[in-house]
Amino acid sequence: MSAIPITSAAGPRGGVLRRFASQEALLAVAVIGLAVIVGFVNPRFLAYRNLADILLGNAYIAIAAIGMSMVIVSGNIDISVGALIGVLATVSGSLAVAGAPTAVTWLAPLVLGVAVMAAQGVVVAYLRIPAIVVTLGMLSILKGGLISVTGGKWITDLPQSFHLADLNVLGVPMPVVIMVAATVLAALRMRYSPSGRAVYATGGNAEAARLCGVNPQRTVVMVFAIHGLFAGLATLVYATQLRVIQSTTPSGLELTIITASVVGGVSILGGVGTVVGSTLAAILIAEITSALVFINVSPYWTDALRGGLILVTVIADILRRQRRAARGWKK
Amino acid sequence: MITKYLMTTAAAAFALSVWGAGANAASKWDGGDDLPTSPLECGTGAAAATAPVKYDGGQPTNPPNNAGKEITIVDVPKLIGIGYFNATSKGIQDAAKELGNVKAKTDGPTEAKIDEQIKFIDNYITSGVDGILFAANDPVAIAPVLKKALSKGIHVVGYDANSTPDAREWFVNQAQFNGIGKAMIDSMAKESGEDASFAIVTSTFTTPNQARWIAEMQAYAAKCHPKLQWLETVEAQEDNNLSFNQATTLINKYGDKLKGLFGMTSVATPASAEAVSKAGLCGKVAIVGLATPNAMKPYVHNDCVKSVVLWNPIDLGYAATYVLRAAVDGKLKPGDASVEGGKLGKLNVINGSEVLLGPPFIFTKDNIDKFDF
Amino acid sequence: MSIATDTAARGAPWWLKRHETLLAIILILALIGLGAFNNRFLTVDNLLNQGRLMTEIGLIALPMTFIIITGGIDLSVGATVGLSAVMLGYSWKTFGFPMPLAIVFALFIGGLAGFVNGFVITRIKVPPLIMTIATLALYRGLAEGVSQAHSVRGYPEWFYVLGQGDIFGVPTQLLILIVLIVIAGVALDRTTFGRALYAIGSNETAARFSALNVDRTKLIIYTLSGLASGLAAVVLVSRVTTTRMDMGMGYELDVIAAVVLGGTSIFGGSGTIWGTVIGLVMIQLLKNGLALTGVKGDATIVVIGVALILSVLIASSLQRRRE
Repeated sequence: MSAIPITSAAGPRGGVLRRFASQEALLAVAVIGLAVIVGFVNPRFLAYRNLADILLGNAYIAIAAIGMSMVIVSGNIDISVGALIGVLATVSGSLAVAGAPTAVTWLAPLVLGVAVMAAQGVVVAYLRIPAIVVTLGMLSILKGGLISVTGGKWITDLPQSFHLADLNVLGVPMPVVIMVAATVLAALRMRYSPSGRAVYATGGNAEAARLCGVNPQRTVVMVFAIHGLFAGLATLVYATQLRVIQSTTPSGLELTIITASVVGGVSILGGVGTVVGSTLAAILIAEITSALVFINVSPYWTDALRGGLILVTVIADILRRQRRAARGWKK
Repeated sequence: MITKYLMTTAAAAFALSVWGAGANAASKWDGGDDLPTSPLECGTGAAAATAPVKYDGGQPTNPPNNAGKEITIVDVPKLIGIGYFNATSKGIQDAAKELGNVKAKTDGPTEAKIDEQIKFIDNYITSGVDGILFAANDPVAIAPVLKKALSKGIHVVGYDANSTPDAREWFVNQAQFNGIGKAMIDSMAKESGEDASFAIVTSTFTTPNQARWIAEMQAYAAKCHPKLQWLETVEAQEDNNLSFNQATTLINKYGDKLKGLFGMTSVATPASAEAVSKAGLCGKVAIVGLATPNAMKPYVHNDCVKSVVLWNPIDLGYAATYVLRAAVDGKLKPGDASVEGGKLGKLNVINGSEVLLGPPFIFTKDNIDKFDF
Repeated sequence: MSIATDTAARGAPWWLKRHETLLAIILILALIGLGAFNNRFLTVDNLLNQGRLMTEIGLIALPMTFIIITGGIDLSVGATVGLSAVMLGYSWKTFGFPMPLAIVFALFIGGLAGFVNGFVITRIKVPPLIMTIATLALYRGLAEGVSQAHSVRGYPEWFYVLGQGDIFGVPTQLLILIVLIVIAGVALDRTTFGRALYAIGSNETAARFSALNVDRTKLIIYTLSGLASGLAAVVLVSRVTTTRMDMGMGYELDVIAAVVLGGTSIFGGSGTIWGTVIGLVMIQLLKNGLALTGVKGDATIVVIGVALILSVLIASSLQRRRE
């Protein structure tokens, strides 16, 4: 269905240098470059406090984008993740208020996230309903279900022990630790483990993958399950940062996560993209949001600018891919 | 390729910052809708008595005579699922129970979208309710469907967020816009000083109430606290995390210059308090805002927040129900100057067709624990 | 994906086995059921009113069907509605355009927005999902920037006939929708343009080699999508008498739900306008019927979600049994 040649980032033969001339490199440069530029206009942007806050406040998006990237690489999509995070946060918070042991309140969103997403994966893989339909339906079910069950009541009064995001590991705040660890582990798995490469194969060409001994259905279910795990992790960071848990699903969250994956270089055609890219993209998007405030852009135009920057990034990425494909794989 | 990309982005960012800084300098504190403001007198003087205004509400066409009979009403707030409207809903249920002849239900969209709200109201018109209570997402857009309700003989009373006057019989106003403006600015001046610089975290620039409050705050500050300096206003939707991030960004951007934060919604205020608390600036940055008590209890208890301005939303829903019942029973007619508000006593009619709940309620360390919403 | 199976097997009532027929049967059963529960549901008044309320989504669902048949998607339609609405008000109030010109301008902006989508998708080859996610953010942001969060109200009275008036007892916008449904349905079914859409969706490479101007066709459908969004915006503004920059938020999901429910495969290559219409009507009437029966909003969207998955499940399993 596409005219773009599919390049696989999964092969180890690509060479380290080739991988640097890639979306990840572009994003890393953009993150640093933007910080420098804004630092000129308002040096306070470069204060450690501010940079740390940008990371901390948005780590959950990067974590969720990891799972989303995998789903997209496998050739599917998920628009229910925002609603799921809302539900998981409410479940976790309710358990905490009800006095459940802290470990349980932290494990519950992980387990539940895996369960819900894996169920969707089964429907997509074995019942062959397109992912966009299943997740669209699930979005409604989760959103409505959440309000029905909670009656819209917020959760306040959370016990202090609940707040995972406040902890530090060797001085590094937990959200950053989880974000980096998750990214590294996921990236390694996608690149070097057979089940990870199976995801790329399934996304690129399911039939060819099957002929190579990959089980596409099982791969898809697994990908969704892992996506659920990351959604649960994201929920942990998201819900434990503040003292209040809203009982509504954060609006527009799934779109932000998908944008982070897409800007991160994950191709919606499946088969291409890395999770490092999506993490960098999530950081970049958060940075842009903060930067627009710092450089005094009129608040009415911040959304337009962010959208424009995303558009530019996306077009640049596609053009770059085409140029690379046209050049061929000559060493 | 990469360099070209970077250069264009750099140029764009620079150009924008120059233009943006200029554009921001002269702007108002918010979007607003260019309606006139009417700031109150400075100091603690009571609001000057306003001359009585002719009734300007809409009336239902040939409503059935339900005086004393049981009626079914529906409450369609801006959205369901936030503490504030849970509280108003509770007030409505309390009043319904007390009155004994009112069956009330709360139903509404899960996001503050006017189009959805219109469809909800439309469905309830078709299903034949006797009365509608509403809090509008947009005053003008909601008017056609409310007028349709009136034309079918359904009684329509608004609360919290008004529609155009001719689209409803009565509007229960929790507090006048200029009263809120005064309360907020006076609190900020008291807590952070007369020449403090502050920023505002609001939901969106198109939320009508918030826009009006900010406009009134601006007018009142210009009149009575001219040395207060406004830095900027940011949007944060009704999202907790986004409000937190925006408040944190403001704190980082202005550093010591920021002496106060206004939270304009029940989501923005606790999130701003959390941001100040996380930054370790409790006591150095004042937080003044509108919020429901439960979310603010931790911050009020540790003295991060001195006072929370609100009215009692439970009372608001309660009063709205009583007003609707009175309108149905014919006890509240156009031109009346007051109405019986159950346990709230007599409520005054102002501005033609508005029923005033009373002065804003201030939650402080001493009284906040008495409330659970 | 099966132009072949559509035209083959004309023996036994082929129309009976089609997804659309099944859906229509479910729809009729649902109508009867809901009507039994509630005596205000099946009144002409209510049904016409529902027709009025579903027009905005319906207008956009028509070109969206075309787009999804070609295997693409357009998530920016909601934002385009907001942008067009803002431009309608802005051009009328700030530029001082006479109202008819402002309406044309709003349509033009919608079409332009769609054209930009189509252009980048066909020339620069950005995948539709990605492009329209980006323009979703951009157009909504432009709406906010241009409007500066102001609403524009106070339009001339005649303008409101479009959104609130009736012609021969039928809501004005519904008439427009019906006309466009017929045109779209005929275009899809009987013209080479329509057949080209199916071809592109089934196998784009083959379509290119068959001397079909794939790029131009795609450009057309994305522009049409923008135009439809612009028209929906005009209708919406007329219905609610004001403009807001957040108009149309969430429309994209409602539109896609209607199209997919109607049997159009998200992978491309199959689907009909009639299916989309049935999907559209079904969702609208389901929401309405449930509300009238006293089901609250949050439970209603759960039901819609379940219904969406179930009906696609049933339809797809039946289709597979047929193959």
